[in-house]
Order: sequence, then structure tokens, then C-alpha cells
Amino acid sequence: MTAAAAFAAALDRAQRTASPIARLDAGEVIGLGTAYAAQHALVARRVARGERVTGVKLGFTSRAKAAQMGVDDVIIGTLTDAMRIEDGGAFDPRAAIHPRVEPEVAYLLGVDLVDASDDELDPATAIAAVAPALEVIDSRYRDFRFSLDDVVADNASAAAYAIGPWSSPTAAGPLDNRAVRLELGGRLAQAGSTAAILGDPVRALAAARRLAREHGFALRAGTVLLAGAATAAVPLPADGLVEATIAGLGRVSFRVERGATADGSPDGGPDKQEDAS
Amino acid sequence: MGDATAAALHAAEERLHAAARDGLACSPVRELIGETDQDAAYAVQSLGIARRLAEGRRIVGRKIGLTSPAVQAQFGVFTPDYGVLLDDMVFADREPIDLGRFLQPRVEAEVAFVLGRDLDSPTTHVAEVLAATEFVLPAIEVVDSRIAGWDIRITDTIADNASSGAIVLGTAPRRIEGLDLAELGMRLDHEGEPVSTGSGAACLGSPVIAVAWLAREVARHGRPLRAGEIVLSGALGPMVAASAGVFHARLDGLGEVRADFTTTALEGAAA
Repeated sequence: MTAAAAFAAALDRAQRTASPIARLDAGEVIGLGTAYAAQHALVARRVARGERVTGVKLGFTSRAKAAQMGVDDVIIGTLTDAMRIEDGGAFDPRAAIHPRVEPEVAYLLGVDLVDASDDELDPATAIAAVAPALEVIDSRYRDFRFSLDDVVADNASAAAYAIGPWSSPTAAGPLDNRAVRLELGGRLAQAGSTAAILGDPVRALAAARRLAREHGFALRAGTVLLAGAATAAVPLPADGLVEATIAGLGRVSFRVERGATADGSPDGGPDKQEDAS
Repeated sequence: MGDATAAALHAAEERLHAAARDGLACSPVRELIGETDQDAAYAVQSLGIARRLAEGRRIVGRKIGLTSPAVQAQFGVFTPDYGVLLDDMVFADREPIDLGRFLQPRVEAEVAFVLGRDLDSPTTHVAEVLAATEFVLPAIEVVDSRIAGWDIRITDTIADNASSGAIVLGTAPRRIEGLDLAELGMRLDHEGEPVSTGSGAACLGSPVIAVAWLAREVARHGRPLRAGEIVLSGALGPMVAASAGVFHARLDGLGEVRADFTTTALEGAAA
């Protein structure tokens, strides 16, 4: 087993059992190449179990967040259908270790972004639709502490996401400075602006294309790009309503509810026994 | 009022005045007036304002501070605080501002209210604030502390005129009708990149709520808000250190304002 495959197995197990693990990078530097290889191996394990890749997410798109984490570049992670929470649906907090939630902007890609020329990167063609989104992040590392390589291997802390109603990019208009609210149980938890996302969330297109080309991601038309967080992430409450609102774009919500499955249907929750790997 | 003596209040005001006059930050005045007695701290602030008025300055408005729950928690308080704006603190969009006039300046973007009538009731509510607002402007506040290293507790900042420095006002007034101040996106850019982002909701839920709080508070203390006064309603995002160059605030739907910081006086002194 390669180092990347071993990292992937450890992270996969941590996620499936909702049990944190020690940092991979604690003793020696993994390197960004191996870290992305580990992430691809991790996603391959999930796909082998029947999950389908639905898109990508960017991380560290806020200068403040990047400085806080001591990193200096944006990172990319993979979204799958198992992470999807329906708008208005429910999320079982037992599926995560120490989940946090943040308000984001989501794009629906209108072109295959990796192969897109600079002209095709024009938002008018590259973006089929835009929506408010909520992302649940959850580090598989103890105490939410990690290096850049660690978090890349850990699929950029991706855990779950919900997307609100899609709008056409022309109807939505420029998104470089829209007020954003994150509310927990109807109370304001974070207030910010979409400007926190790379200065303008539309820059996520070029950033995602660059990272995808460098690190071997497919960015197909019809898949989702989570552009990054508009405010700091806050700990996910144990229960209750989580709602994000972007001025002039709309709102998206889900409930935190023990015993829920990602699509909101009743279920016994994640199976913490199953994992023989 | 608590235990601070009149002599202590005067000593605190003298220390802050000397720091501003000499351009040398001082040690905290909580050493003189204690860490918790806000009434004593406001008394020091009033002494300082009285001195400036005697020097010929004029009151042009008020500023509200500590409007973010995170900052309140940091100070161990549950309410905002306030200070007084004087005529020599006011700059307009793009007007050069000499950094040498400050000790340790920081900037934040805000909404400035300009009142069309008095708000003199200690029970003023948000609807009365909206009705009394002649117009609003985008603003950048330059905050500054006379206390070395910004080593401040609540009484230090109140005594130091709520750490006020200067204000920069946009020049395109907007009527408040049709504006939802809670839903204003805010970005403060320096050299083309956002250094602070936020929104109207970050200021006590909405800037108008902060102004209503101020109106009640100052009316209760016998210094009600008057027609024509400017009210700086509180930061819409984190404050950041000021440096030479242009800080450009954009308030979505309200407009923009630029603070142009220069260092000419410093260069002149070095030459």
C-alpha cells in the first residue's frame, strides 16, 4: 500500500466512524502531491461504495482564514452525493466529529472547466446558475488542527453541503459585495459579505481551473463549485435550524437532527460499527 | 459614581491630553479610575471634551463603539459605548489625511447618520430614529488609542473618547427610505484586496438599532442628539491597522468612500 493509500484508508475510517485521528503530517512533511493523491484515493474508496462525485469545493478562500490557518494558497476538495443535504432537509450531527458550518456561494458549472479556454471562463458561459449554500466542514484530525497537506488529504474538511434555489447569473448580478447572514435557531451567528470569498466569488472559477489542472480534478459541466466561505465557520449546534441568507440571491437552510439522513428521511443514523478496512 | 476621586478623574484626563498633545502613547488610565466604573470613565471623557471646546472646537456628532458581540465579549461588557465627534476630526472622501496626526490608527467601515431633527427622549425607538434621519452616508472611521499598545479595558477606551481619531464621510447622501441597513454588504479594500468584510447586521443587528441605543443613552445623561449631528453607528466588520495609501470602503446599495492616508509630514520631519 502506498503512503497515499494508507492515509486515505485512515481518513476514510475516521470519517465513517466519526472518530478523530492524529495528524498525518506530524512527523514528516507529506508534500502537496502526496496529499492530493491521498484525497483522490479517499474519494475513490467512496465511489467504490456507490457514491457519485457531484462537484468540488474550495477552501482557504478568505485571506483572514488563510492567515489564521497559516496557509497561503487556496485548496480544492471533492463533493459527493452522500454529502448532499436537501434545502430544508436534515443533517445528523452524529455523522461528524466536530462539525462547523459556514455560508457560501455555489456555482453550477456551464462548461467543462478544466478544458475551458480563457474565453470560456467568462462567467456568462462558465456559470449555468448560482445559489446560496451552506457547507458543513469537519476535520478528521483531532482538535481541528492540521497542516496544509493534512487538510488536503482530508478532502479539504468536506463533510456536507446544502444548496438553495438556483438563479441565473444575469438575474443574480454581481456578487462582489452582498450581505451574508448565518443564523442558528433564527439568531444571528455571523454577518459578512461575499467579498470575503477571494475578493469576489466569481474568481473561484479561475482558481478552481488552476487547481484542477495542477492536481488532476475533473470539473464537468453540470457539477457544483462551492466557491468558499463568506464568514468564519461556527460550531454546528446540536440541533435546530441552520440558515444562510445572501442579499439579493436568496436563502438556504437545513435542520440539525439526530437520527436524520442527509436527504432528511428518517433513519437510524450512520453505522459506526461497519468498517473492516 | 464609584470610588474614583475628582483628582483621579482630572489626572486621567491630563494623562490622555498629554499623550495626544505630545504624540506619545500613555499607560492605561484604569490605573487611576479603575477597570469597571463606566460613569467615572465618561466623566473623564467629558473633561477632555470640555478642554477641546475651550480651545475652540465644536461638537459635530457622536460615535458608537463596541457594537459587535465579539468585541463586547472581549471587553467583558454587554452594551456599546460612545464618544464625541469634534469638527477637526471630519474629513471627506479622498481628502488626504496625514497619518502623523494619529498614534496607532486603525480603520473600520460604518454607516453615518445625519439627523434632521432632535432625538431627545430617553425612550427613543428605532422608528423615531428612522423618521429623524435626514440622510445616511458611507463612512470610514479612524480609531486611535492614546493608550500604549492598545492595552485597553472598557474604562480606558471610554475615557479616551471611545478611542476616536477621525471620520471620513462619503459625499453622496442617501435617503433612508428603501434601504435595508441590516442587509448592506461591506468591503474595505486596501490596494485592491479586501482587508475587512462584513455587513450591516454585524452592528447590533442593524446600524439603526445602535443609533436608537445611543439616543436613549445620551438623552438619559442630559446630552441628547440634536438636529444636524452626525452619528457614526459602529463597525460593520473587523477593524484593521491603517497604513499609507487608500482604504476604499464600499457599502452595497449605499455607496463608497475612500480614506487617503499620507505620510508627508513624517517625510518632511525626516528630511
